[in-house]
Amino acid sequence: MFFDIIEKVVRVTKALKEPRIATKDVTHEKMHHSPIFRGKHEIRYDICTGCEACAKICPVDAIVMEPLPIKRPKALPEVNLGVCIFCGLCEDVCPTKPQKAIKLSGGTFEMITDGKDEAIKEYWVKPEVPEEWIQKKKKEEEEKARKKAEMLAKKKAETEAKKKAEEAKAKEDKPANVENKSEAAEGDTK
Amino acid sequence: MENIKNILNKFDMEYVEDYKPTWVKAKLKNKEDILNVVKALKKEGVKTCSTISPTDFIDENKIEVNYFLEDLFNKRNVWLKVDIPRELENCEIDSITPLMPSADWHELEAYSTFGVKFKGHPNLRYFLISRDYYGKFPFRKDFDWKEHEKNLMQNIAEITEEYFDEYEEYEENVGHDGSRTVLNWGPTHPASGPIRLKVYTNGENVEKIDPDIGYVWRALEHLAERKDFIGTIVAVERICFMDNPNPMICYSQAVEEIAGKEITEFAKYMRVILGETGRIASHLISLGGFFGTMGLQTFSMWCLDIREYFLDVLEDYSGARIATACIEPGGVRYPLNDYKAWFESINKAIKKFEDTKDDITDIFMKNPLMNTRAKGNGVFTLDDVAKYYLAGPIARASGAKIDVRIDEPYAAYDKLEMDYVTCENGDARDRLYIIFKELQQAMDLIKQAMAKIEEGISEGEMDPKKDHLIKMPKRMPAGEAVARVEWARGEMLMHLVTQEKATSPYRLKLKAPSVNHTMVLDKLLKGKTLSDIPLLYGSMHICQGDLDR
Repeated sequence: MFFDIIEKVVRVTKALKEPRIATKDVTHEKMHHSPIFRGKHEIRYDICTGCEACAKICPVDAIVMEPLPIKRPKALPEVNLGVCIFCGLCEDVCPTKPQKAIKLSGGTFEMITDGKDEAIKEYWVKPEVPEEWIQKKKKEEEEKARKKAEMLAKKKAETEAKKKAEEAKAKEDKPANVENKSEAAEGDTK
Repeated sequence: MENIKNILNKFDMEYVEDYKPTWVKAKLKNKEDILNVVKALKKEGVKTCSTISPTDFIDENKIEVNYFLEDLFNKRNVWLKVDIPRELENCEIDSITPLMPSADWHELEAYSTFGVKFKGHPNLRYFLISRDYYGKFPFRKDFDWKEHEKNLMQNIAEITEEYFDEYEEYEENVGHDGSRTVLNWGPTHPASGPIRLKVYTNGENVEKIDPDIGYVWRALEHLAERKDFIGTIVAVERICFMDNPNPMICYSQAVEEIAGKEITEFAKYMRVILGETGRIASHLISLGGFFGTMGLQTFSMWCLDIREYFLDVLEDYSGARIATACIEPGGVRYPLNDYKAWFESINKAIKKFEDTKDDITDIFMKNPLMNTRAKGNGVFTLDDVAKYYLAGPIARASGAKIDVRIDEPYAAYDKLEMDYVTCENGDARDRLYIIFKELQQAMDLIKQAMAKIEEGISEGEMDPKKDHLIKMPKRMPAGEAVARVEWARGEMLMHLVTQEKATSPYRLKLKAPSVNHTMVLDKLLKGKTLSDIPLLYGSMHICQGDLDR
């Protein structure tokens, strides 16, 4: 009798120490976790080339290329999550290496929005492009363009100079040859 | 084979040629001959029509009707083609339904989607497609989908009104005297899925069943035409999610045949593993669903629990549990970076099943209530199998030795040891037992394929990181191909037509087994009582996804 009571007390105290399953928060603990789970997209604005391969292959046309005010990338992909079927073909075709500019694998499965039609239509994955980055890129591009223009101008000037020199050569004919030789000789001595 | 060729050569044919080891491909010149050809073939033993697939060649102003006729028991199949004019008034051909009842719904489908009139069909009507497409023949190449979709809301309102009219009509026809009535079993019945069986009853006795289908019609055959060759996998995998990888295997085989490519050994074994995993996932739902429809949900939960482990296997490989999109033309989609870990998770899943197997046998397979209700109930004979083309487990439960994996080996099934799994009686209980037997066979096949892959890797013949995919051409040559796989619920047949330098399929016909299994419900349930409906319906393992497509 006494033994029974003690056993019951021990059992109850043991049970009290057990973790309470009903109060355990399992919403953030996955039963099974696959490292390549195809979840919410991650779009890397800094390595995307804007080639539109993802938008072209998307079987449900969920990807829209949003134009940027810069030249490269000239547009970035945006994914409509209300339409996307998470097939991952966009990740397959993305040409950037070694990291993909658009990536589903390893993405989160937590995607919650309002159940209303409008809310689902407005539910997008958009790359957050900082204004500074665009300004920086713009400046870089301007610099590049300026350098290019300068180079072009230089080249033009050079070619023109060459042309002029050639023309001059043709005009001066023989005396020019003599001059050239004398120059060459000077160079040697130096 | 020779006999069939001789028969075909007696008629006015454009060509008769061999196609794959088990097929004869022939083209008939005159459409008037079709009935005589089919009659002669039926005498020879080709008793079954697998499906009928029209192809709309709008440039040549003709519709080519493809008949896929099968001799199930001797493995001789005929692919018969015949041209008919494209204009709606002349677009007609003799119906073969009186000769081969298995063609019934396939002819109705061809009529609804392409407008091919089948003269002599016992009940030619619009069917399957949504009511607002009636008489517009949506799969013809000149149908304007965008224009049609503009009036979407109005169409839906009209469909609802029509339903109420129909309901009132029944009320008036049947009247309030007597015990006759029309019951709508589904689409909201817990056991039905999106299908409505109009059950004409007298008291408790079922007099007639008229299935109303098309609740999940998505026009997948048309969707495939709008996507490119790789993107089509996401359309075909949506035939049915319960067995997800197998339709993609079927489609990929058809594309590879047209492109003339051979996939690697490693990819072949991978296809076996993925396909069998899909079969297990589907069979576990069928198994649990059988008891679920009888009102015992415990076993459904057990099965879903085991299934979870097999879905984890798919997730580990592809990154998705249900819509895996894991097989594409040219092999399988992902490399196997850590094959040991993946095999480990497969072994874990198999062990989970093996651990519960004894309990399942004791508690459920020997369940006295199930035995009383299902034993000897709803019997299909071998003749029924040939007449209505019951496929897969349903046919094998009746003792028919039919299995595409053995009859027309694909992937690596010819290198694995397997035999037909059959039961004898063909009643509802056998249709449950066969599923349980096939589960064990599928696990055995997975184990064999894993051993072969491990062997190949250790001998240096396979590289799981590189061998998974071969390069496929972006533009396909013109051609057509027929591919078959043994799907979880029976034979799946795909007929793919491409045009020169095409980037998307010109026509993709999907044939799925549930169409025939739903077609026989009337025969199966006539004379039974209302309480038999869920039981026998559950025993047919019907999925509405592949019924409607």
